[in-house]
Amino acid sequence: MPLYICNTRKGALDAHARAAIAQDITDIHCDVTGAPPIFVHAAFFEESAGFPLDDKALYVRGTIRKGRSDGQKEEIAQRIVQSLTRHGGVDDSSAAAQIRETPASWVLEGGEIMPEPGEEAAWFEAHKAARSEAPS
Amino acid sequence: MIDCLCLVQEGQGPDRQRTALAGALDAFAREQFGVGLQARWVPVAPGYGFTAGAPSSSSVVSLAAPEPLTQDRREAALRALVALWTEHTGCSVDEIVAVVADPVTH
Repeated sequence: MPLYICNTRKGALDAHARAAIAQDITDIHCDVTGAPPIFVHAAFFEESAGFPLDDKALYVRGTIRKGRSDGQKEEIAQRIVQSLTRHGGVDDSSAAAQIRETPASWVLEGGEIMPEPGEEAAWFEAHKAARSEAPS
Repeated sequence: MIDCLCLVQEGQGPDRQRTALAGALDAFAREQFGVGLQARWVPVAPGYGFTAGAPSSSSVVSLAAPEPLTQDRREAALRALVALWTEHTGCSVDEIVAVVADPVTH
């Protein structure tokens, strides 16, 4: 977590564009929130009925840990739209990004309950300690 | 019946073992919550899934409990869910993101 789902029109993004957008999403999320890159997952689909697309060519729905400010969420969404337009070759009206939140305590990743925003360093220390104590 | 989203990398262990996983997930839900579970498989095509900007081997398994949970109960359910997933697929705990949410209210 976070998980960013990018739903697109068929053929809207080639492999290079998907990789570039995934890297941008990772960089944007980490830049805005300070979260480590290893937490950032992105998946792309073409006209999946299970995810929003609305009337857009490219639509990203991000689910992030609860606790970020409205300004942070807005900045993430705006910068993702910029990445979509840059790499997808569409204008602003054809791309959208939406950010949703879920409590960190509802998520288990890397074998541990996710840390609250800002508590990642302590989480990684505990994670490393647990691994070193685990039987090999 | 609990709806369970299973986002899996196409062609990898979790995707190839859907039948066994679906049965294990249903048994998990009956034990934890007393109701059955329907897995909704969403395969991510090769070249379409990324973690930290690189090709991903991670799965995401997400469900909402039928009632609000205490954190102790939620964590027990999350750990049981990850244990069954790693046992059936052979993936590591670093390759599974599990979510047990409270019920959706509108």
